[in-house]
Amino acid sequence: MHGYRFLLYYLWIAPHILLALVAIVMRVKRLDVSFPLFAIYTWYEVAEFVLLFAIAVTKLIQGMLYMRVFLVTLAVSTALRFGILQEIFNNVFREHGRADAIARVLLRWTTGILLAAAISCAIFAPGPTSSSLIAATAWLGRGIAIIQCGLVLFLLVFSRLIGLSLQSYVFGIALGFGILSTVELANWAMRSGDLTESTRKALDLLTTGSYHVAVLLWLAYLIVPAKRVLQHADVPAGDVEQWNRELERFLR
Amino acid sequence: MNDASIYIAVAIALATLFVYLAARRKQDPAGADKARTLISSLDIEAFRNLVDPEEESFLRSNLTADQFRMIKRERAWAALAYVRILFRIAPEFTHFGHALQSSSDPRLVELGQQMVSSAVNLRLYALEASTRLLVVATFPHLAQRPPQFLFEQYAHTTGLLRSYGALDRARKQYS
Repeated sequence: MHGYRFLLYYLWIAPHILLALVAIVMRVKRLDVSFPLFAIYTWYEVAEFVLLFAIAVTKLIQGMLYMRVFLVTLAVSTALRFGILQEIFNNVFREHGRADAIARVLLRWTTGILLAAAISCAIFAPGPTSSSLIAATAWLGRGIAIIQCGLVLFLLVFSRLIGLSLQSYVFGIALGFGILSTVELANWAMRSGDLTESTRKALDLLTTGSYHVAVLLWLAYLIVPAKRVLQHADVPAGDVEQWNRELERFLR
Repeated sequence: MNDASIYIAVAIALATLFVYLAARRKQDPAGADKARTLISSLDIEAFRNLVDPEEESFLRSNLTADQFRMIKRERAWAALAYVRILFRIAPEFTHFGHALQSSSDPRLVELGQQMVSSAVNLRLYALEASTRLLVVATFPHLAQRPPQFLFEQYAHTTGLLRSYGALDRARKQYS
C-alpha cells in the first residue's frame, strides 16, 4: 500500500517537474515561437497540477471541489491538445504548397470520419453502466481519444507517405500525444464501466505512467540533438559530381 | 469479448504502430548513396516512351484489339516500376534538402528549402501517376494521359541538385 502511494505520488509529481523543464528548453531554443500552443499547454499543465495538488494535500479531495476543478481543467487541456495537433499540421505542411492543400483537405475528411466514428461508438456501444460523473466523462473521453489517436496517426502516416521527414522535436511532440491518446482510449473505455478498487488503482498508475512517458519523450526529442541523416558537408565531392553526370545523361 | 476489450485491443495496436513508426524513423538510411543508386537505375527516356501517347496510337493502329490491350497492360506495369523508383528517390532528395538547410550559407539554405518542396511535390506526382497507371493496367481500354507534371517536377528537382553541384564547384574554386 505504501509502495502504491509512493509510486502514485511520484508519477503525479515527476512528469510535471519535467514538463516545466520542457517549457524552459522550448523557451531557450525559441521553439515557443513556432509552437506557442504547445508552450502554453506545458505551462498550463504545470499550473493545473499545482492547483489540483494543492486541493489534494489540503484534504479538500474528499469533496466535490477536486472533481469539478479536475473536469474543468481536463476540458481546457483537451481543447489545447486539439489546437496543438492543428499547430503541428500548420508547421509541417505550411511551406509545401501542393502538399499543404492536400493535407488540409485530407485533415478535414479525416476529422469528419473520426468524429463520425466517435459518435457511432457513443451511440451503438453500451452507455455508461454507472451513473457517476466519472463514468459519463469516460464516455465522452473515449470519443475524444479516438479522434486524437486518429489525427496523430494521420499526421505520421501522411507525412511519411509524401516523404516529408518531420523535425525531431515535432515528431517527438506528435509521438507523445499519440502514446498519451492510446492510453487514454484504453483508460476511458475501462472507466465507462464499473470498476473494482484494484482496477481503478491500476488505471490511475497506467494513465499517470503514460503521461510520464509522453513528457520524457518530449524532453528527449527536444534535448537530444536530431540525428541528421545527412549533412551537406558529408557528401563527398565525388558523389555530387557523379550525381551531376547521371543527371546530365538524363537531360541530354 | 466485451466493449472495453475492443477499445483496449485498438489502443494496444495503435500504440504498437506509433512505436514502430518511431523505430523506423531511426532506421531511415542516409540519403546520398541510395539516391545515387536509384538515379543510376532510372532511364527517364525509356519511361517517357512507355507513356508516350504517340507510341500508344501507333500501337493501337498496328495491333489487334486484344494484342493492344495486352501490350498496353505490360507497358503500364513497366511504367509503374519507373514511377516507383521516382517515388523512392523523392525522400532522398528531401533528406538532402533538409541537410542543406542546416548550412551556414544562406544560398544553400534557400536551395535546401526549394529542394524539400520540390521533392515533396515529386513524391505527390509519383503517387498520382502510380494510381493512374494502376487504373490503366487494370482497364487497358481507357485512354492514358502522360504524367507530364511528373517529368517536369523531376527535371525541376534534379535541376536544383545541379545548382547545388554548381554552387559547390564555385565554392571550391574560391576557397
